[in-house]
Amino acid sequence: MSPAARTARYVAKRLLLSVPTLLLAALFVFVLIRLLPGDPAQVMLGEGADPDAVAALHRQMGLDRPAPMQFVTWLGSALHGDLGTSVATGQPVLPLLLQRFQVTASIVLSAVAIATLLAVAGGLLAAWRHGRVLDRAIVAAATISMAVPSFWLGLMLLLAFGVKLRWLPVVGYVPLHENLGAGLAYLVLPVATLAIVESGVLTRMMRASALDVQRLEFVTHARAKGASELAVMVRHVLPNAFAPTLTLAGLTLGHLLGGAAVIETVFTLPGLGRLVVESILARDYPVVQGCLLFTALIYVLVNLAIDLCYPLLDPRVTVVG
Amino acid sequence: MPRRRGPRRRAGGLRAWAALAAALTLAAPPAAVAGETVLRARLNADIVSTDPGVRRDENTDAVLLHVVEGLVAYREDLSVGPLLAARWDVSRDGRVYSFRLRAGVRFHNGAPLTSAEAVWSLRRYLDPKTHWRCLHEFDGGGYAKILAVAAPDPMTVRITLDKPSPGFLSTLARVDCGETAILHPSSVGPDGTWRAPIGTGPFRLARWTRNQAIELVRFDGYQTLPGPRDGNTGGKRALVDKVRFLVIPDGVAAEAALLRGDLDVLDGVLPIETGELKRHADVRLDVHPSLDIYALLFQTRDPLLRDPRLRQAIALTLDIPGLARAVTQGAAQPNRSVVPVASAFHDAVQARIPAANLVQARRLAAAAGYRGQPIRLIANHRYPAMFDAAVLVQAMARQAGIRIDIDTLDWAAQLARYNAGQYQAMTFGYSARLDPSLSYDALLGDKQADPRKVWDDPVARSLLTASRETGDAAARTAVFDRMHALFLQDVPAVVLFNSARIAAFRANVVGYRGWPAAQQRLWGVGFR
Repeated sequence: MSPAARTARYVAKRLLLSVPTLLLAALFVFVLIRLLPGDPAQVMLGEGADPDAVAALHRQMGLDRPAPMQFVTWLGSALHGDLGTSVATGQPVLPLLLQRFQVTASIVLSAVAIATLLAVAGGLLAAWRHGRVLDRAIVAAATISMAVPSFWLGLMLLLAFGVKLRWLPVVGYVPLHENLGAGLAYLVLPVATLAIVESGVLTRMMRASALDVQRLEFVTHARAKGASELAVMVRHVLPNAFAPTLTLAGLTLGHLLGGAAVIETVFTLPGLGRLVVESILARDYPVVQGCLLFTALIYVLVNLAIDLCYPLLDPRVTVVG
Repeated sequence: MPRRRGPRRRAGGLRAWAALAAALTLAAPPAAVAGETVLRARLNADIVSTDPGVRRDENTDAVLLHVVEGLVAYREDLSVGPLLAARWDVSRDGRVYSFRLRAGVRFHNGAPLTSAEAVWSLRRYLDPKTHWRCLHEFDGGGYAKILAVAAPDPMTVRITLDKPSPGFLSTLARVDCGETAILHPSSVGPDGTWRAPIGTGPFRLARWTRNQAIELVRFDGYQTLPGPRDGNTGGKRALVDKVRFLVIPDGVAAEAALLRGDLDVLDGVLPIETGELKRHADVRLDVHPSLDIYALLFQTRDPLLRDPRLRQAIALTLDIPGLARAVTQGAAQPNRSVVPVASAFHDAVQARIPAANLVQARRLAAAAGYRGQPIRLIANHRYPAMFDAAVLVQAMARQAGIRIDIDTLDWAAQLARYNAGQYQAMTFGYSARLDPSLSYDALLGDKQADPRKVWDDPVARSLLTASRETGDAAARTAVFDRMHALFLQDVPAVVLFNSARIAAFRANVVGYRGWPAAQQRLWGVGFR
């Protein structure tokens, strides 16, 4: 079997195996959101709502039907690509979450890419200068970035670059396809915040892996052959030390693509995370179910993509279909 | 040999960064087209819909009342005044209201206002399929049932009730009812589904970008009532070309936007945030007493709190002025009455606040057989005043040996417990109600039929009915005074304070003023 056919078979098998995972996730989300006390109709109509109006809205939302029937109906529609309609706004869920996902994806993909680049550079430098001032400085910076809460860092950057220096806008969002320059201006601070916060743990991982690889014989051999330090680190250490960092970056990506709620709230970005939080608070069941199912799907796909990247980094790793 | 970065290169780097920052700043969307005035105000959450009085919340009401108008509306002093109606007559038996429409009023689509649109709008609200919030007030379950809506001539609307109702006009004018706005029929599609509001207000709805912004544009054909700004009725002049409501959930981000000049008006400032804002010379504050009510509710059916002496004991531990001052940084007015301080019915009887008396509190608690059992008090973090009040209630009650444990829930969960009556005690906030009968109605009723009701006293219920059946202010004041005495005696709840609505705005903004309805109004607001 050719490598391409093996890869295709592997992808198909992984996607097939993800179906029960997604079904279980859907069931869990459906049950858990309904276990929460609180009623979407009551939240929507507010504290002074007439009980008859609440009951009528309940009927209108279809919440008066037995829960298993609601689940089966929802799942049936979901399998046809219809995730239902938001009970709070009346918007169809799928277009809503795709629209919000674009915002989240634009921040998260940029931030994780920058964080990974920072981590690779920082981790390799720290490992190269192991035990010296530069190593300690990088480790300290990484530890601080891990310890700093994202909302605090975001607010500080917002106050510094938005309010004091007035270099960047502080609230709002412009899609990149509408106005590239303005869109970038709105993305700088959230991307910087996320990149700084996420780079800490990636740097630590990269440094630890690079230190392990540096001790191996082939690295000593390369140095003995007279290879420059740059060549040793980039050609020999990096490819062999990058896999754990890539795995972690993949997990981070999956986690953040499901919504960077804190960052989105601080910077007033209409992303997926804010949508999930708002929907949970409003008990907007269809939106919560749709978002979390979508997040589970993103996790599955990101993990699959990462797994497919390993053979590119390390020829010893092969895909078994 | 390592190369050092020379000063020239550093300066070049700085210039590059400055140029990038400048490019990004210049790339940001302009606040307005040249010569166009745009007033930017904050909403802490997006509006729910554009259908007034149907799918709504406080933000939705505030935005849409810039776009639509009713026959009558609340004035600044909370009396009801004409808006789209020039005047009205009431039949001798008090059942038939004939509204004469103002001449020259036009909808945003240019169509003139006639009784046909008014009848269409009212009949739409009365159709259960519309799910109008205030339908229950007019279908026989509330003040009076509307039997008929008719148009005897092109400028007159006639509404017939099943019985006389002094509260009829004030209900029509209610903000949460969408002011019973008169809309053009093209606001809905051919199948009756909602499209967009085509109203008669000083602004028309131009764009709603969900979860980001709502843009209103000045309606040049608007016919304002003469005189200064008066509640939701007169003086509704649009002084800017556009109003842009920006959805900014985070308070700190909103404050940063105001300080930077990305926002002109920031409504709903928390009292704790005012200290920082006061330090900025280019920011002004507007503090206005609200008609909302923050209270400590008791479940009078709870085995422990069933005894009114224990409830009285807890009430006697509370230093209400101190609590109000601490929770709201001195912005709110302490109040033990269900009738808000800003109401015209808040007289000397209601203004008296019993002082804390720990000795008497201990005595009453002991007489009620209280032996230190914990009382669970529900609060939430969504509304910080409710949580802060709960903490202070806990601390004050402890001084008399009464143990209170706080359970913090999210708002939806607390609301569910409130509606089901499943609690021992909770700190709770009632939104502004513009008439004391409505404030009492929120608390008072049959617990069997409606478990969310806090106070189930037959005498008080008959007094509430009496308060609705007369329009005479003196008679109503006397009724409210009697209800207040009963309320203090029975203590189903302890009213703590009426909060203040605080808004911050840039120094170049003129005309911004809050009012007791706690609803943001941006007509009459412009730039220096």
